[in-house]
Order: sequence, then C-alpha cells, then structure tokens
Amino acid sequence: MVLKVFFPQCCNRADSGLLVGRWIDGHDAAVVLTVIHYPFIPGQVKLYVQQMQAQSRVELSVLGSWSLPKEGQEGMESFLRDLSTIFPQERWLQISREIGKTGFHCQVLQRDQNGRAVQQEPKKKKKKEEEEDGEAEEEEEEEEDDEEKVIFVHYEQRKVMLSQLHPIQNGVPDPQADPPSELRQVFQTVAHSDPLFFMDKYDDGPLKSTHWQTEGREASIIVELLKHASVPVCLLVSWLLSVWTWICGMRIFSLYPLRFLSTKLSTCVQLSYRTEHMRTLSSPKAAAGHTEFMRKANILVSFLVDVALGMLLIWWLYRENHISMLANTLVPAADHVAKELDELLQWLMGAPAGLKMNRALDQVLGRFFLYHIHLWISYIHLMSPFIEGILWYGGLSACFGLTFALSLLSDMVALLTFHIYCFYVYGARLYCLKIYGLSSLWRLFRGKKWNVLRQRVDSCSYDLDQLFIGTLLFTILLFLLPTTALYYLVFTLLRLVVVLFQGVLHLSVDFINSFPLFAVCLRICRPYRLAEGVKFRVLSEEPGTALHLLMEINPLKGNTVVQTYRTPTYSCYPKDSWAALVKKLFVGELIYPWRHKTTKTD
Amino acid sequence: MGPDSAPDPAVPWRKVLWERQPFPDNYVDQRFLEELRRNEGIRQYRYWSVVKEAGFVGQQLSCVAIFITLWLYMEQGRLSPETLLWTSLVCALLGYGLYQALTSQVEPGCGPRTRLADLQSATIFLSFTFGFSPVLKTLTESVSTDTVYAMSAMMLLAHLVSFPYAQPSPPGSLSLNAALFASVCLASRLPGALHTFAMLSCALLVFALWPCLLQRLRENAPCQFAGVCLGVCIVGVGGLGFQSPGGAVLLALALMSVTLLCPLLLVRLQRHKDNIQGPWDEAEIHEDLSRFLH
Repeated sequence: MVLKVFFPQCCNRADSGLLVGRWIDGHDAAVVLTVIHYPFIPGQVKLYVQQMQAQSRVELSVLGSWSLPKEGQEGMESFLRDLSTIFPQERWLQISREIGKTGFHCQVLQRDQNGRAVQQEPKKKKKKEEEEDGEAEEEEEEEEDDEEKVIFVHYEQRKVMLSQLHPIQNGVPDPQADPPSELRQVFQTVAHSDPLFFMDKYDDGPLKSTHWQTEGREASIIVELLKHASVPVCLLVSWLLSVWTWICGMRIFSLYPLRFLSTKLSTCVQLSYRTEHMRTLSSPKAAAGHTEFMRKANILVSFLVDVALGMLLIWWLYRENHISMLANTLVPAADHVAKELDELLQWLMGAPAGLKMNRALDQVLGRFFLYHIHLWISYIHLMSPFIEGILWYGGLSACFGLTFALSLLSDMVALLTFHIYCFYVYGARLYCLKIYGLSSLWRLFRGKKWNVLRQRVDSCSYDLDQLFIGTLLFTILLFLLPTTALYYLVFTLLRLVVVLFQGVLHLSVDFINSFPLFAVCLRICRPYRLAEGVKFRVLSEEPGTALHLLMEINPLKGNTVVQTYRTPTYSCYPKDSWAALVKKLFVGELIYPWRHKTTKTD
Repeated sequence: MGPDSAPDPAVPWRKVLWERQPFPDNYVDQRFLEELRRNEGIRQYRYWSVVKEAGFVGQQLSCVAIFITLWLYMEQGRLSPETLLWTSLVCALLGYGLYQALTSQVEPGCGPRTRLADLQSATIFLSFTFGFSPVLKTLTESVSTDTVYAMSAMMLLAHLVSFPYAQPSPPGSLSLNAALFASVCLASRLPGALHTFAMLSCALLVFALWPCLLQRLRENAPCQFAGVCLGVCIVGVGGLGFQSPGGAVLLALALMSVTLLCPLLLVRLQRHKDNIQGPWDEAEIHEDLSRFLH
C-alpha cells in the first residue's frame, strides 16, 4: 500500500508543530490543511479542531507532527512521538524536514490494540546513517510486515481551494452511488475548510498556525462597497420588475391580436427574456451553488456588456445627425427595392431565361404582383415623413442594450419587407395547392387513391365523370405548373434573403444573451478556478527518499467552458434540419424565421 | 429407378421422410413418373373464334386512327366544329338508344344507373368541357408542337397497351386517362375554343362511351359484333386513306397482323405446348375462383 500525503506548498517552511487535516475515507490518503505551531496547550488544540469541524463540516483531525528543526532545537524526537498519545489516532504521521534538504522524512506510527503507538519501519531516509538506523530498527521490529510507502503530493492551497472540479456534481450525493473520487474529496476538503484559514499571524489567539493566508487576509474596499450597494439595487430592480409584470399582466395585452403580435415581434421576445434575466439577478437569495453563481455572474456580465455596446451605438447614432442620414437613405432604398422588384416582374412576364410559360397565367400573376408593389410604394411614401421620428425614438431603445436595438432592427426589416413576404405567401400557397392537387390527381390518373384509414395507396375504380374531370384538371395543373413554380422560386429566393438577414440578427442577439462571458474571462484570467483535472510533476525522485510530486491544475478547455456555462435560452436555430427545410421548400410550406420559445435542454 | 442403386430391395420403399429407411434421401422407385400429367386443362383454340376476339383489339386500333383522322380534318379546317358536334350528338343519342335496347333485352328496367344519373353525367361532361375549353386552348400555346405530338403519341400508345380488352365496360383508369390526356394535348393545338370543345366531346365518345357499347354488343349480339368491328376497321383505314395513303397502308397491315396473323400463329404454336405437372409442383389452392370473375 502507498500512503499519499497531500501537503500544502505554503507549509514547506513552517515552524514545527502539529499537522491538522483529514484522512480521506476509503482511500489511503491524507490531506494536510494547516500546521499549528508550538507552543500550544493540547486541550485548546482539540477545542479549536472541534470548532473548525463544526463550522466547516469537514472531519478534521490532528494527523501527526511536523518538525523543521532550527538551530538549537534538537532532541524533539521523543516529544513528537509522545504527542501521538495525546491525540489518539489510528495512524500518526511524523514528518520532519531538515534545513538544506529538499526531501521530507516520514514515519508512520500505527496504533496497536493496547492503545500504544508503535513505530513503523521508516521508509524514506535522507542519509546513509538514517538508512543504517532504519536497518537497525528493522532488525528490531521484524514482525512488522505491513510495509507502507509514502508519496508526498504538494498542492497550492489557494488555487485548490478556489477551483471547481468539473464536471460539477450538484445536489445531495446519492448514498447508493459510488463515493466521490479521491481527487474530488481532496478538492472538497480544501474548499470547505476555509474557516480554518481565517486565523492569520496578526491574530492574538492562543494558537498560531501556517496556511496560505498566514500573511493576512485579502480584502478589497470596492468589493465590500459593492456588496453593500447590491442589496438596495436589487430591491429597486425587483420593485420595478413587479410594476412591469403588473403592466404586462393587464387584460388588454392578453387579447388575441396583441398576444399573437408579441410572440412574433422579436423585440417583445427579447423584452420578456430580459425581464426573466433581471428577475434571476434581483432575487434576494444568494446563489446556492457554483452553477447558479456562475449563471448569475454570466447574466450580469452579459447584461453589462450589452448595455455598454448599446450606449456605444447611441453615442454613434446621435453624434453627427446620423439618424436623419439613415432616414434619408432608407426611403430611397425601399423605393429602389420596389423598382427592382418591378423590373423583375416585368422580366418574369416576358419569357424569363427562355422558359416557355403559360402566357395568360403569367400575365395574370404578373399584374397581380405589380399592383401589390404599387400599393407598397404608396405606403412607403405615406410613411416617409415619419420615418425619421420612428428611427429617433427607436434608437433610444439601444440604452436597454444592443440586443434591443438589433431586435428592433429585425422587426423593422420584417415590416419594411412585408411586400416580399406577401408575394412569398401567395406564391407558396398557389404552388402548394398545385403540388397537392397534382399528387392526388396523379393517383387518380393511375386508378389509385389514398386510403386515409390504412395510410396507404389503394386501387380504386372511379366513375366515368370522375375520371374525365380529374384528367382534365390534371392536364391543366400540369401545364400551368412551370409558371407557378417559377414565380414561387423567385419569391422564395427573395424571402430567403430576408430570412437569412433576420437569422443573422437573431443569432447575434442570442449570442450576446447566452455567451458565458464571465466564465470565459475567468478561464483566461484565473485558469485554475475552473479545473478539469490535475497533472502531477515529479519534484524529486532520489532513490531512498520519498517521491515528491507537484499537483498542478488542468484548466477547463475553452469549448467545454462555453458548453457548460452557456445561459439556457430559447434556441433560435432552425427547428428543422436542412433536409426537412428543403422538403418544406419543395412542397411549398411556409417557412418562418421566428424563434421558438423552447428552452435549451442539454 | 432412382439415381442411387437400392441397397436392400427386401424392404418396400415409402415416399415419406419421417421414417428412417435403408434408401438414400433422393431415392425414388419406378412409380415416380406415373403421376406425370401433361397440358392439363388446356383449351383448344379454334382459329375463327380467336380472330373474332382479336377483332376488338383491331377495332380499338382503328378507333385511335379515326380520332386522329378527325383531328387532322379539324386542324386543316376541312371539318367545322359544328358539324362534328351535331354528328357526335346524333351518334351519342343513337348509341344510347342501342345501349338501352341491349340492356332491356337482358334485364328489363332494373339497370344500375337511372336515366337521370346519365343525364347528370352528360351535363357534367358538357359543362366542364365547355367551361374549360378556352383554358385548354391556351394551355399548350408556349409548348413546342413536336413536344405535343410526341406526348400525344406516347399517351395514345399507353392507352392501347393498358386497355382492358377482356372487360372494357368500366373503362380502365389508366387507359382512359391517357387517351383523354392525349386528346387534350391535341385539342389545344386547334384554332378555336369551339374546336377544342368539339374535339373533347368526340374523344369522350370514342374512348369512353364506345367501348361500353361494344362490350354490351359482344355480350348480347355476337354475330353483329364481328360485323361492327369489321366496319370500324374499314372506316378507320378508309378515313386515314384520304389523309395519308401511306398511313392507311400501315394501319391496314397492322390490323391484318393483329386480327389474322397473330391468331394463326397462336393456333399453330399451340401444338408445341408441352406443360408438365406432377407431385413435385408447389401446392395450389383449389378454390372456386369463378366468383372473382364477375
């Protein structure tokens, strides 16, 4: 068996004293947390350990003794051995170090049945003489056959305490499940025993100890001020939220057209989403676990970045009268789009790309769409005096964040390209009708029919008049199909361009909303905070001495950080796969860029 | 004797597999070929009866030829749509009367369809055709003439191939639809909407109603049936002869081979039929299948 001793690096040069730490259940390992120096009164040490155990809920105990003899401090061996009788333990570690030597010397004392400590064979020695001594002892205690090796794992106490081992285990551990791994237990022990680290060397207590915060506790005035300020801010925000929820809950907003509109306008969706965020942030309860804390922090940082970007946008928009410039370009742009569409329709009404279309249907469809464009241009010209005002007030929404401005832009694009949407819907409906009619008439043509009950195609004997009319309609639909399909194709392409643009806007909004900025910053600035595992580096491996390893923390990978801490959000990715989308396009079903309010599940 | 020699003739061989016998598995004795039967249930065809049945195929071929001839006349303007319409109407009324007469001979007064239903169907045909004829007229305007001809030829061929010659009375869906599709294609090349209407009415008469009447004739008056078939063939060849003599010759050759040569070949080749049956055949379900025929 190999005994692993996790030893904090900060205690390497500590004065002699008692090692306080924890034996890991189920594994042959011990975690050293702190060293309590001489002189002490054993009763006080026991009391202190009990207090700390009650505060931190870690099974703390005195593991053994630590000696780093300085000049004039010698002959402590027997004293150290006697200590084991004062602090009765199953095993008693006796670690000593000599000035000028890198390695430690460790003895493990087992408690026998009589309650007397028995010294085990010392395994690791620094010097030849000691080895000889050991041999001598070996001769003395030959009956001790349980050989035990010791490996020292040095760890940086501060980093291990602050880091979170991934994957995160939440909730109450299942008693039936396997106990957590040794490494996880080490991390938990160090993280939970922070009450132990509050005592520093400036304290006037009866005990003195060495751990990572010995030099004094870290503190920041800004952090303290923020902590105090956050409470009233949270209260204010939650009061505002309750007012807002009350307004939203009014009956007039749950009427059919308004509710339908609010689910389709991305600004409204973004608003509800942001409300939910703020509700999470302003809850008076502190974050329960690491996951919730990270979630809150991510939301807060995303929100702040969002608002900052929005402010930047406002600063740019209102600086040099960019608003009126935009308004002055918008109306001619819409006009230009309408003119281009007009030309496109004229081209379609001729013989587009040399295709032979049905002239009569072509003319009818072309005139119908031309009339729509005419209507559209009149509408735009009617609106043109107000566009600047709309833009001016709409731009103000950017002070809520860039996401609002982007959502508003998406909605405005949707409204300004409403004619394209109309064309698309007409074309798609017509095409869909033709496709369905043709598919069922093709079955009639072959003397088959669709059996709804059995979901299959059955043969069927039709009447003479059914056959005649069916064939007549089939012929007509078949010869008119190319014309409809061409109109459908052109308007679908136009629609896809608009949908693509809106999709890019939605994606960017979603990115800002859900990107775990805080976690990524943490990963960059404090890589040890998010640990994926550890790696060991050999410090010294001299034959005849204990193996000394340095435990270093492996930071979490970048994509894992993003995956783990992504704020759950409604997915704005298309609901259908690409094949389903192509099928929908082919059959002529309508496609929408609207987001679906299904929360992300991982 | 079987392929392997019998090792022990003292034990009689039985044709069972569930007993262990001192014979190889593939052993059979001399009784094996006793159960062989040849040409079981064969019907000896007689030449003229086959010719009479093949007359239906020939007359259908001629009907297609007559339809094409009519279309050619219409396209050249030598047949006015009014004439065709009136002729069609008269023919339809005569045929309807004949049909009713033939029906009443067999089952007096209890036909599956009433006169009202027939009138309803006729109204639907005429109104739909008349309503759609301007649309149909412009339908294939931009399609090239060759494409239309090729499509019509294909469809008429499909009609001839898929026509249910044995039981044409409810017309087969595919054959009727193909013929109607071809006639719509052809009719859309005609100069006016009335031409289209007349042509489609004519198509309905030739492809949908005429086979029903002919089937009734075949059932009830077999002697006249042969004469009618011959008459249709002669009319078809003659009509086509005025338009294109070469086509008429080809049609006549085709009719001859279908009605005279093919039955001759069938009867001749029947002598060589050698169909053997025996206990090695897979099981057959012996059930009265005659009820499925009607």
